[in-house]
Amino acid sequence: MSDKKIIIKTENLKKDYKEDGVVVHAVRGIDFMIEKGEFSAIVGPSGCGKTTLLNLISGLDTPDEGKVWLDGKLISDMSGKELSDFRRDNIGFIFQAYNLIPVLTVEENIEYIMLLQGIGKKERHNRVIEILEEVGLSGLENRRPTQLSGGQQQRVTIARAMVSKPKIILADEPTANLDSKTGTELLDMMAELNEKTGMTFLFSTHDKMVMERARRVVVLKDGMIVDKKEIDIV
Amino acid sequence: MLLYIKLAWRNIFRNKRRTIISGLAIAIGLASLIYVDALYIGMKNNIVDNITKSFMSDGQIHRKGFRQRQEVELTINNIDDVVKNLKKEKIVDKFSVRAYGFAMISSSNNVNSVVLVGIDPDRERYLSQIDDTIIKGIYFKGTDDNQIIIGKKLAEILEVELGDRIVVTVAQANSSELSQELFRVSGIYFLNNPQFDKGMAFIRLGKAQKMLNIGKGGHEIAIKLKKGIDRIHIDKLNIWKKFSSNGNEAESWIDIMPQMKMMFEMTNLSLSLIGFILFAIVALVIINSLFMSIYERMFELGVLRAIGTRPSGAFKMIIFESGALAVFSIILGIILGYILTFIFTKVGIDYTGIEMMGVTIKNIIYPVMELRQFIIYPIIVFFITILVGVYPGIYAAKLQPAEALRKSL
Repeated sequence: MSDKKIIIKTENLKKDYKEDGVVVHAVRGIDFMIEKGEFSAIVGPSGCGKTTLLNLISGLDTPDEGKVWLDGKLISDMSGKELSDFRRDNIGFIFQAYNLIPVLTVEENIEYIMLLQGIGKKERHNRVIEILEEVGLSGLENRRPTQLSGGQQQRVTIARAMVSKPKIILADEPTANLDSKTGTELLDMMAELNEKTGMTFLFSTHDKMVMERARRVVVLKDGMIVDKKEIDIV
Repeated sequence: MLLYIKLAWRNIFRNKRRTIISGLAIAIGLASLIYVDALYIGMKNNIVDNITKSFMSDGQIHRKGFRQRQEVELTINNIDDVVKNLKKEKIVDKFSVRAYGFAMISSSNNVNSVVLVGIDPDRERYLSQIDDTIIKGIYFKGTDDNQIIIGKKLAEILEVELGDRIVVTVAQANSSELSQELFRVSGIYFLNNPQFDKGMAFIRLGKAQKMLNIGKGGHEIAIKLKKGIDRIHIDKLNIWKKFSSNGNEAESWIDIMPQMKMMFEMTNLSLSLIGFILFAIVALVIINSLFMSIYERMFELGVLRAIGTRPSGAFKMIIFESGALAVFSIILGIILGYILTFIFTKVGIDYTGIEMMGVTIKNIIYPVMELRQFIIYPIIVFFITILVGVYPGIYAAKLQPAEALRKSL
């Protein structure tokens, strides 16, 4: 793994939670790296700390200990505002289903980040049309999320995540609420977009279909990487 | 900015029932304030009318000390000049000279002490309601100097009827000699004010001047100002200062009855208190509504924060939602307030016969709508709504995206 290609790097990441007064060690000293353009997955059983790790990597949560570098920038020390701006410009998020804003149309949902970035109306519209074509939803820009199927909604989420051309796409269980056919279609589409755009994709999942397509799989158990040798499977 | 406004407006209508109920609660609060304000103005006007139109007028001029000591000798200084100057005053509509004396009034059956008032009948018509409240007989007619008008209560005490003879005895100015005259009851009035109905008798000014031995003098000039003058804040006018010279003092009715000023201040205070309570309720409704909306959309807020919305953006979003709820509620409140108040401005509220601070309400109270009520109160509601939106707004801004995403799952 060459250093100049590394886009995600963590060092001794730790995070504890208190649940009903009981301390849960969600992430226990994780060190790992992801190279630019990879299609990777963090896998493991429920409660192993996948989502927490993804949240720490993206700056959605702050680590109790350890450091996170994204594209060479130490994000674990950034302020709330700096983190928001960094996420806006560098990270695309795909969550489980139902993460679109229901009161906004497909186009408005997709252009939301571009609005935050201050991109002009015409360019926003052009980019929306372009990305909708790429995810196979042309002509649906004026629909509300509730007027779309689960698969179509996730495609809109992918379009929203990619439209601002971020360096990293983080996807937390993106196929969890989809049937296997729709899930496969979506994963194929993401793999294709990864090839085409060179964006780095990092999944948190226990879906075998994701693992089959991933070039790197990080296996977690009880908040730790279980076997380092298994990390670099391609 | 436009995005947040769009989001806010659409978000408040996501849960239509809740927004309508919250909006209605705020609207009812606003409508109540508009109505109560209009009612208070109506009540004030009614009371002011009762005071100024019955006998007091808008203001009076006396010799300094007369109001306190009521001495017959204390006639207005340089009354001819005062009258001449009053005629020149543009703000003055009508005025009338009056003469006062304490008198014993006796009939064949009884005796009573009264304030004898000498008036100019023709001028007095415009300044008091004595002529309008005659229930038996007539207001002064012809040139007969021996006509006297007494109140209903006094007539009952003296056991006299129209045309009966009564004797009035007064002490003359300077000499304290008694002057006695025989009068015939030509009219009986009923002002629905015990003080007047029992304790005042009216004769012609010339006769009173002669009986009191005050020449062409007078003790009081009642002044009616032109229409359109704010009679509640009449004491601020310059005219009173202008005519308070040469040992005379000119005062507005509110200076003569300072207890009314206190009553109005208390009325304003109670309106403020009602406003405070209503606004507090409004604030709680808004906070509750916004927090419910935040908890319902926790995941969504988490997503918005995750994809790059700054904490300040989340704050703005909630503030704009608060504003959108305010706009919706204000429109509803203005419509409700207008309809409610408009109905009562036509129908009125019957408080006749009820006494307030010594003033008996004689007419139906009609609330008075003013543009101010539809501007100031909605603005206050709007700013309170925005202000109370700050708390849920800060809560939304401080939300950790991961926590928001986790809480909703």
